[in-house]
Amino acid sequence: MRLPLGAIAGARSGDKGGDANLGVWVRTDEQYAWLVGELTAARLKELLPEAGEVERFELPNLRALNFVLRGLLGEGVAASTRFDPQAKALGEWLRSRHVDIPEALL
Amino acid sequence: MIRIGNASGFYGDRFSAVREMLEGGHLDVLTGDYLAELTMLILGRDRLEDADLGYARTFLRQMEDALGLALERGVRIVSNAGGLNPAGLARAIDRLGLGARVAHVTGDDLRERFPDALTANAYLGAWGIAECLRAGADVVVTGRVTDASLVVGPAAAHFDWGREDFDALAGATVAGHVLECGAQATGGNYAFFAEIDADRPGFPIAEVEADGSSLITKHDGTGGAVTVDTVTAQLLYEIGPPAYLGPDVVSHFDTIRLAPHARGVRISGVRGSAPPETLKVCLNSLGGFRNATTFVLCGLEIERKAALVRRQLEAAIGAEGLSWTLARTEHVDADTQEAASALLHATIRTTDPRRAKAFSRAAVELALASYPGFHVTAPPGDGSPYGVCEAAYVPRDSVAHQAVLPGGEVVRV
Repeated sequence: MRLPLGAIAGARSGDKGGDANLGVWVRTDEQYAWLVGELTAARLKELLPEAGEVERFELPNLRALNFVLRGLLGEGVAASTRFDPQAKALGEWLRSRHVDIPEALL
Repeated sequence: MIRIGNASGFYGDRFSAVREMLEGGHLDVLTGDYLAELTMLILGRDRLEDADLGYARTFLRQMEDALGLALERGVRIVSNAGGLNPAGLARAIDRLGLGARVAHVTGDDLRERFPDALTANAYLGAWGIAECLRAGADVVVTGRVTDASLVVGPAAAHFDWGREDFDALAGATVAGHVLECGAQATGGNYAFFAEIDADRPGFPIAEVEADGSSLITKHDGTGGAVTVDTVTAQLLYEIGPPAYLGPDVVSHFDTIRLAPHARGVRISGVRGSAPPETLKVCLNSLGGFRNATTFVLCGLEIERKAALVRRQLEAAIGAEGLSWTLARTEHVDADTQEAASALLHATIRTTDPRRAKAFSRAAVELALASYPGFHVTAPPGDGSPYGVCEAAYVPRDSVAHQAVLPGGEVVRV
């Protein structure tokens, strides 16, 4: 079903210098198995076209993926001219993007 | 078990949280984080104006309000509110005249080694705090220590952990990471906020055990929630690779186990390994001056309106250092004026403060001479300095991490 990712996934994002981090988690093992396959670094860049270099780390124990978006915030929080200079809402932007979610996971 | 609370996740967090945490139930230690990269810059500018400042002033006011209560209840206070001037903050707390035994931690300030920076602070670990607490301090104030050290230090002192008890240190680091942003662990800023009572989350508490495992909870009767999901959300905040580097231990976030508990969430299983030989240093420098304004573009021909005002502003002050974004928030045929409007953000960054000021003048001068419906969300000010933050790394042994105990004895950590 075509739904916002946030229908099943939570997220939290923030800044580390000029990089942003974006953690995404789900609440069942089945959802996590789907998320790992669906939300690759390349797919994240499709969903968030403003992202440049993206690195993905897996945390299966937390049913979570952590993405580091290199250089998104320029020289860092104080210098950034970005609309959301601390990347606080990056996760909520991602959660609002529509993706195809298998109905069994809802 | 040691029961450690948090009452602050940043400089500016809920003022009453210190009192709420002291009155809300039993604690052994109350911690507060006041420092972020950006905060160091703000404190650096405070210090330029007055060398006696450079610490988080709200913390001093919170102590004025509630330190007496903490002493009465036997709750020890551990905070990094010292910022760039922990000694100055310790003196100011002494001057409150409440008879508290106040200790502080120094050695993080490396300005002599990085003379070009406005602030240069190494991220110290937990052992200075532990030393102060072992010496009987009621209050420990530090400068730049890692946020998690505020929890690791008290736990390490309480359980007499050694420097190579890496699993226990990592467990406490994870508990500290959960606590360091206050209400973000208890349902604040939480993706599934609609599922909980999110109106006024209580602040978090970690009950840390001798093996470093912990129970994350909050005082009875407070709002928010502590669930596997709220704790997961905070664990994912501001992290990079699963091997989370710290000055005392590398904590392996891919070994964390979370389990629901009647009073919150149990954290266990965390593995630690030896820390790197270097300490991270946060360098803040003045990067220049910035100014910004937001033009509201209503209705028709949004792109052309944006292009017109951009041409006009660039003709007035030049294009250099200007950046523009156009948020197409307008809706066609909207039934409210706000829904019919788009937002054009203009920002200037420049090394010349006069140019930052000229930006305002030029924007204001367009008020009767630009696109139809010209208005701005707020008139631009004179512009303000902005900082640039960089990381550097120094050998751990080259940093003089010191505990200044109540009474003034200095112990090299």
